[in-house]
Amino acid sequence: MSNPSEINGGSAVAMIGKDCVAIACDLRLGLQSVTVSGDFEKIFQYGGNFVAFTGLATDVQTVSTELRQKHALYEMVEERSMEPNTAAHLVSSMLYSRRFAPWFVGPLVAGINSTTGEPYVCSFDSIGSMDVSHDFVVTGTATNQLYGMAESLYEKDMSPEQLFETISQTLLCAADRDAITGSGGLVYVIEKNGKVTKKLLKSRQD
Amino acid sequence: MSRFNPYGDSSGGSSLAIAGADFAILAGDTRHSTGFSIDSRDQSQIADLGDGLFLTSNGFSADAKQLVDDLRTQIKWYHHNNNDHKLSISAAARTTMMLLYGKRFFPYYVNPIMIGMADDGTGAVYSFDPLGSYDREPSRAAGHASELLMPFLDNQVTFANQLDPQTGEPRKRLDLDLQTAVDLVKDAFTGAAERQVQVGDTLEIVILTKDGVDRQYYDLRRD
Amino acid sequence: MADRYSFSLTTFSPNGKLIQIEYALQAVNAGVTSVGIKAQNGVVLATEKKVMSQLVDGDSLTKISQITPDVGMVYSGMGPDFRVLVDKARKNAHSNYKMIYQEYPPTRVVVQDIARTVQEATQAGGVRPYGVSLLVAGYDDNHKFGLYQIDPSGSYYPWKATAIGKGSSSAKTFLEKRWNEELELEDAIHITLLTLKESIEGEMTGDNVEICVVGLPNDDMLGFEGVPNVQGPRFRTLSSQEIQDRLDSL
Repeated sequence: MSNPSEINGGSAVAMIGKDCVAIACDLRLGLQSVTVSGDFEKIFQYGGNFVAFTGLATDVQTVSTELRQKHALYEMVEERSMEPNTAAHLVSSMLYSRRFAPWFVGPLVAGINSTTGEPYVCSFDSIGSMDVSHDFVVTGTATNQLYGMAESLYEKDMSPEQLFETISQTLLCAADRDAITGSGGLVYVIEKNGKVTKKLLKSRQD
Repeated sequence: MSRFNPYGDSSGGSSLAIAGADFAILAGDTRHSTGFSIDSRDQSQIADLGDGLFLTSNGFSADAKQLVDDLRTQIKWYHHNNNDHKLSISAAARTTMMLLYGKRFFPYYVNPIMIGMADDGTGAVYSFDPLGSYDREPSRAAGHASELLMPFLDNQVTFANQLDPQTGEPRKRLDLDLQTAVDLVKDAFTGAAERQVQVGDTLEIVILTKDGVDRQYYDLRRD
Repeated sequence: MADRYSFSLTTFSPNGKLIQIEYALQAVNAGVTSVGIKAQNGVVLATEKKVMSQLVDGDSLTKISQITPDVGMVYSGMGPDFRVLVDKARKNAHSNYKMIYQEYPPTRVVVQDIARTVQEATQAGGVRPYGVSLLVAGYDDNHKFGLYQIDPSGSYYPWKATAIGKGSSSAKTFLEKRWNEELELEDAIHITLLTLKESIEGEMTGDNVEICVVGLPNDDMLGFEGVPNVQGPRFRTLSSQEIQDRLDSL
């Protein structure tokens, strides 16, 4: 395990529903096989945009803070809120600016466009290549497990309640088959009307 | 100078098994590949061992084939020595273990899954690691898409992480009916074929009940 | 040698004025008049194209420049200084905005960027202030149409209609009487021409007046069609024929 992206472990997933989006992450922070913490949240809120960072924990903290600064500056200069697609491009250019000494993070962006009302999810590799999806995006050490779950559980146009159930089951069952993802989960459901629900999930602690 | 490598990467896609109260299912896709090249779109990876036993071995195909030959030989000798007595799945599983562990220091590069009907009439799934470590399980996936398939089976076959809405307690495991199980297999493979390039073409499903064997085929994506 | 002048040339006079900036404003007020009017459905920028000789090839001379697909600007004052600011504004719009957000900066951000550049020239060492005032017209989804003026001091003002340069004060008096909330883009072009007419000596033609508009997207300028959700630039230069037609119907 000399791969920096797999030292601390952790995964995240985001899904689009009908007039809503959800984003979820696990809570584990580990040093290889040793679990150090069970309350390491990997989702950060930037106004109406929610960004999950998985990967090397030190980079997760650095990049999320740096994005906090850039987001705040944007909203002050422009006197308007940042749209999810703008946030995604900002993340992308931040990562690409370190093309030859990358941050070891795998971000996800989720949000709802305030003018069009369109739900938006997007994933990135560590140097900023964007993947804007119509259904769901996954990242982290349980990527394969999350894909397997999401591909079979996901349906179009789910209500916020259905979306919460689907993303939770996707995360929990994927986490159970990845030794370095787990120790509980965290889910945000973001609705078009601006309602945001944050829920903690209990799960196996092994 | 590079040394000869006895193991290759030619392999079948993925396989999956589910055990029910009175049935057992073994399914695998019919794509065979080496690296990113598709060798065949119509190569069954489910071997009929006789005595109502079926086996898939994902991993290195040549080793998988040799393991099947070894097992058939073993079963044939068992019949010779025991007046054609049918080999039970528990004994077949132990035999498989002996074969695999016999090559402890030059292992077959395979992850076998065996299904059959157990002596008590229940469906049985046995899975193995390359060295012979084995167990009877409610469900198992192996091969290129095993990481994608396995959590889904946990969730839908053993109801992992599901709570009973009435009691709030973990949902009780009830026996799946056959149709539900077959639908699960199809859903699982269609999902896996979306994301795993080595999986696709056709899904072959072998369904084992007390009445005999049923084979079904189902189209998967071919790209 | 260089470090001998590495102090600001723009320093306060005892009565609190920055004389260099006032000189720069005088250069602006000696410059050719430019007019800008914001209407309901667009903005118009116009200026007189003065040629000092019959031999000058006026067709290849433009005084209004595009900065982004939806933003353009015109100046009164020193042409060379304007071109420097156009270069910087275009580069800024890309390096500090589009390359980061994958979208063009809103009008006010363009204006603030230029205003910063202009202000730095009033404080930095070894440089003189820019000898131009600018009118910046633009559109963005959030604030819709915008019209701004930037002065050599770095100050900027949002306007409904204004003028800069030699004839600016009489032009502004004229605009105050003519402007109203219901103005359409075509009315604004009309008023622009009437305003310029006051300050132009001699005959006004499609060749000695330059007009640009920021209005509806010009999808015909994309160079392709058939792609949904792609818009053409809103900034467009009127051809001399288009200007002549409007002059004829004045």
